[in-house]
Amino acid sequence: MSRYVIRRLLQAIPLLFIISLVLFVLMRASGDPVATMGGRRVMRPEDRQRLARQLGLDKPIYTQYLYWLIGNDWATIDTDGDGEPDMPGDRRGVLRGELGKSLVSRGKEAWDIIWERLPNTLLLMIPAEIVIILFSLIVGIFSALRQYTLADNVITAISFIGYSMPIFFVALISMYLFSVKFKEWGLPFLPTVGMFDPKLGKTPSQVALHMVLPIFSMASISIAGYSRYVRSQMLETISQDYIRTARAKGLSERAVISGHALKNASLPLVTIIGLDIPLLLGGAIVTETIFAWPGMGRLFVDHVSRGDTPVVMGILMIIALAVVIFQLLTDILYAWLDPRIRYE
Amino acid sequence: MVIFAGASPATYNARKDMEEIVSRKIAKTLSILVVLAMLAVSLAACGTAEPEVVVETVVETVIETVEVEKEVEKTVVETVEVEKEVEKVVTATPAPTNKIATFAWTQEPDSMNWVYSNMWFSSILQQIFHCWAWEFDSDNAAFPRLLTEIPSMANGGVSEDGTVVTMNLRDDIVWSDGTPITADDFVFTYEMIMDPNNTVVSQYPYDALSGVEATDERTVVMTFAEPFAAWEAWFWRGVMPKHILEPVYEAEGSIDEAEWNLAPTVGCGPYDFVEWESGSYMRFVKNPNYWLGQPNIDEIYLQFVPDDASQTAALIAGDADLGTFPPISDVPILEAGGVEVMVQSSGYAEGWFFNFRDMASPGAQDVVVRQAIAMALDREAINSDLLLGLTHAPETLWDPLAGGMYVSPDIVPWSYDPEGAKALLEDNGYVDSDNDGIREDKDGNPLTLTHGTTIREIRQDNQAVTQQMLREIGIDMQIQSWDADLFFGSWADGSPAALGDVDIMEWSDSTAFPDPDHYYWLCSELPSDEYPWGANYFGCDEYLDGLFQEQLGMLDPDARTEVIREITKHMHENVYWLGIWDDPDMWIVGPRLTNVSFSGVTPFYTIMEWDIVE
Repeated sequence: MSRYVIRRLLQAIPLLFIISLVLFVLMRASGDPVATMGGRRVMRPEDRQRLARQLGLDKPIYTQYLYWLIGNDWATIDTDGDGEPDMPGDRRGVLRGELGKSLVSRGKEAWDIIWERLPNTLLLMIPAEIVIILFSLIVGIFSALRQYTLADNVITAISFIGYSMPIFFVALISMYLFSVKFKEWGLPFLPTVGMFDPKLGKTPSQVALHMVLPIFSMASISIAGYSRYVRSQMLETISQDYIRTARAKGLSERAVISGHALKNASLPLVTIIGLDIPLLLGGAIVTETIFAWPGMGRLFVDHVSRGDTPVVMGILMIIALAVVIFQLLTDILYAWLDPRIRYE
Repeated sequence: MVIFAGASPATYNARKDMEEIVSRKIAKTLSILVVLAMLAVSLAACGTAEPEVVVETVVETVIETVEVEKEVEKTVVETVEVEKEVEKVVTATPAPTNKIATFAWTQEPDSMNWVYSNMWFSSILQQIFHCWAWEFDSDNAAFPRLLTEIPSMANGGVSEDGTVVTMNLRDDIVWSDGTPITADDFVFTYEMIMDPNNTVVSQYPYDALSGVEATDERTVVMTFAEPFAAWEAWFWRGVMPKHILEPVYEAEGSIDEAEWNLAPTVGCGPYDFVEWESGSYMRFVKNPNYWLGQPNIDEIYLQFVPDDASQTAALIAGDADLGTFPPISDVPILEAGGVEVMVQSSGYAEGWFFNFRDMASPGAQDVVVRQAIAMALDREAINSDLLLGLTHAPETLWDPLAGGMYVSPDIVPWSYDPEGAKALLEDNGYVDSDNDGIREDKDGNPLTLTHGTTIREIRQDNQAVTQQMLREIGIDMQIQSWDADLFFGSWADGSPAALGDVDIMEWSDSTAFPDPDHYYWLCSELPSDEYPWGANYFGCDEYLDGLFQEQLGMLDPDARTEVIREITKHMHENVYWLGIWDDPDMWIVGPRLTNVSFSGVTPFYTIMEWDIVE
C-alpha cells in the first residue's frame, strides 16, 4: 500500500505542473487585467502602458509563467520605462511557497486573500455537505424500503422537481418567500443576505441564522440527486444473496439494513463524496453570490473577471491539489471498506 | 417493496413488518429532524432584542413614612429620611441605540487608497472616511473642504498666465488621529503619485504639473508647464497622510504594500474606517476629531451584495438602507415596497461610438450612413420601453454637464424619421438592388455594419431592438458582445475595439466630468503597432483634434465654452457619437434613511446630515 501511495504522489507532480501551465495560459489569454482598472471610463493609454510595465504584464507569457513558478528575485525590472532595469524583483514564486501578489488588491499576498475566505466557505459547505449526505441517506433508504408505494412515488416526484431546478431559482424564491414575504406577513422570517445583521453583531446564532437559506438552497438540489443514487444502490444491495443469508440466519432487520445493506450500498457513495470534498474548497459560486456569503466562490468570480492571475491561479491550484489528495484518500478508504480490493 | 424469490409467505410477511418498522423509524427520525430545524430557525428568528429584565440590588435614598416612638406624652407621626438597601426589579434601559445605516454595495472595493483604484464603488467612499481638497454639490459645482476658498483668477489663486495655482489650507483641518493636515501632505501625495515605484492606477492630471511646492505650512503652490483648464475637476481627490505613509516608503521604497491602502485607520472624513472583512462588510464609526462636527448616524456598515436581485430583496426586507443601480425592471417592485429610487446626473451617457478609421466598413466611414442611422433609431422609444422612461436620449456626450451649457444651441436633435433615413440613403446611391431587404452601395456591396459592446444585459437588449430598427431602413447590423476586459483590451491584446473589428461600439462614458475636456478623438491617440495603448478607436478628424487641443489651454471660461460648443456641433453633424440614453447614478433609498441628497461627483458630500428614523 505504501508503495502505491508513493507512486500516486509522484505521478501527481507532473500532473499538477501540466494543470498549472494550461490554467495560466488560459487565464492570461482571457483578458487584460489593466483594461478594467479604469473604472467606468476607458483606461488612459499612458497609465495602461506604465501599469503593464510595472506589473510585468508586458513580458512574454512564458516569462510571466516562469516568474509565477520560480519568482523574479533573480531579475531586475524597468519600472520607469527608460529601457534600463532599475529595481530588483521581489517575487519568490509558487515553488518557493508564494502565490504572488494580487493585481486587484494591490500589494496583498494572494494567499492571504484566499485564506481570509477559506474558513467562511468551509463554515457553509461542511454543514451543507453533512445535511446533504444525512438527508440523502434517510430519504434514499426510506424510499428504497418502500419501493413503489405512495411515499416512494411522492419522494421520486419531488426529487425530480428538485433535481431539475436551477439553484439560483431555488435561492431567489426561498429568499423572497422566507425573508421578504414572511416578514410582510408578520411571521418569523429569515435574513436575506450576509453573514450577520450589523445591528445585532457577529454572534454564533446570527451566523447560524444566516446559514439557513444558503444551506437549504444547496441541500434541496443536491439531496434530490443523491437520494436517488442511494435509493438505487440500496435496492440493488438488498436483493443480493448475502442479504437474504443475513436475514436467514436470524439477524434483526435493523442489523441487516445498517450492518450489511447500507455498508455495501455506500461504497459507490464514498467515491462521489470523495470527489465532492475537494470541490467544497471552491465554494458555491451561485449560492454565495445570491446570499452575499463571503466565500471562495465569490472570490473566484470577482478576481477572474478582473484578470487577477495570482489569486485565480492560487484558488485553482489549491483545488487541483485537493482533488489529487482526496482521490488518493478515497482509494485508500475504499480498500478499507471493501477488503476484496488490493492495491499493488 | 422488494419481493425476494424463494421466500415463504411467513418469512415475507415478517420481513415486510420489519421493513415497515425500519421505514417508520426513519420517517420518525426525519420528522424529528425537520421539526428541530424549524424550531431552531423559529427560535433564532424570534430572538431579536427585547428590553432585558434584570434583578439588581441598588442603594438609594428613599423618603419613607415611619412611626417613631418618642419620650413624649403622645405618639406622633413624623416624616424622616432614612437610607436603606432595597431590592427591586428594574427594566434595564438599553444604552442609547446606535444609529446604524447599512449600505448594500454590489461591488467590493479593491483599495481604499484612491490612487490605487478607479472603481466607482471605491472612489465614492472617500467622502465617508477621507476628504478632498474641494468637493462637489448636487449641481456638481465645486466648494472648498480643506481650502479656505477655491482658487480663481479673481481671488488671486490662479496666475494671469494660468500656469500657477495657489491653494490656501484651512487652519483647523486635522487627520482623525489629531495630527494637523498641512501643505507637506499635499507635496507628499504628488510625489507618491509620480513615483515610478508606485503602481498607482492613474497619474492624471498630476503628470500635467511641473511641480508642487509647500511655501508654508498652509500654502500649496501647483505649477503647470502649460495652462491646464481642467485642473478643478480632477486634482486632490484625496490627500495622503505623510506621517503614516512616509515611514513605509522609506522602508520599502514604495507604498504599494502599505497597510493604510487597505485599512486607512487614519483619515479626514466624518467617519473613521474601522474594519474590512473581505467579501463580507466594511464598517465606519464617527470620527471624534472631525473639524466640521459630528454626523447624525453613528455607524455606517457596507454590506457587499453582488447580486442585483438580492440587493432588491434586502432593500424591500429592510436589511439594507441604501443600494445602487437597480436593474431597471426592479424599479416598480422597489417603489411598491416603499423604497425610493433617486437619480443624480454624473456626466455619463450611453452612446454609440462610430469607427470611421480605414479598417471600418465603407458604410461606417460614410457620414450619410451615420446620419441615416441617427434618423432610423427611435431613441425615445428605447428609453421609454427598455428603461421605463427613467432616462432620455442625449444629443451629445456633453448633455449631462452643467445643465447642457456646453451643447451648441445650433444643434437640431436627430428625430425618429425612418422615411427620411430611407430617402437619404436612396439619394446617395444606397439601394436594395437584389430585393433581399438589405441595401447595397454603388459598388454593389451590401450595407452591413457590425455592432459590438460588453455583455451588460441592457446593452444586449438594446442591440436586439436597434438591429430591427436598422433592418427597417435596409441596414444589416451584425451584433456581438464581449467581456469588458476583452472588449477594452489594447491593440496589442487584439481587442476588437482597438483593432477596429467593429463599426459601432456601445458603452457608457463621460468627459473628464465635471470638466468638459476629452481626449478620445485626438489624432495622436490612434492605436497602432508603434503605439498599442492608443484610446482613439474611432478615427482622426484634424479639425476636431485642433478644437480639443485648443480648449484645454484656454483660460477664459466663456471662450472655452464656445470652443466646446463647436466640438459638440461638429461631432453631432458628423454623427461621431450618437446618444442612446443618459446614464445617471441611480440610488435606492430605504424608508429608514432620511435627509438624503447626492452629488454626481462626490455622492456622500452631505452624509453628515443624513439620519435614520425608525
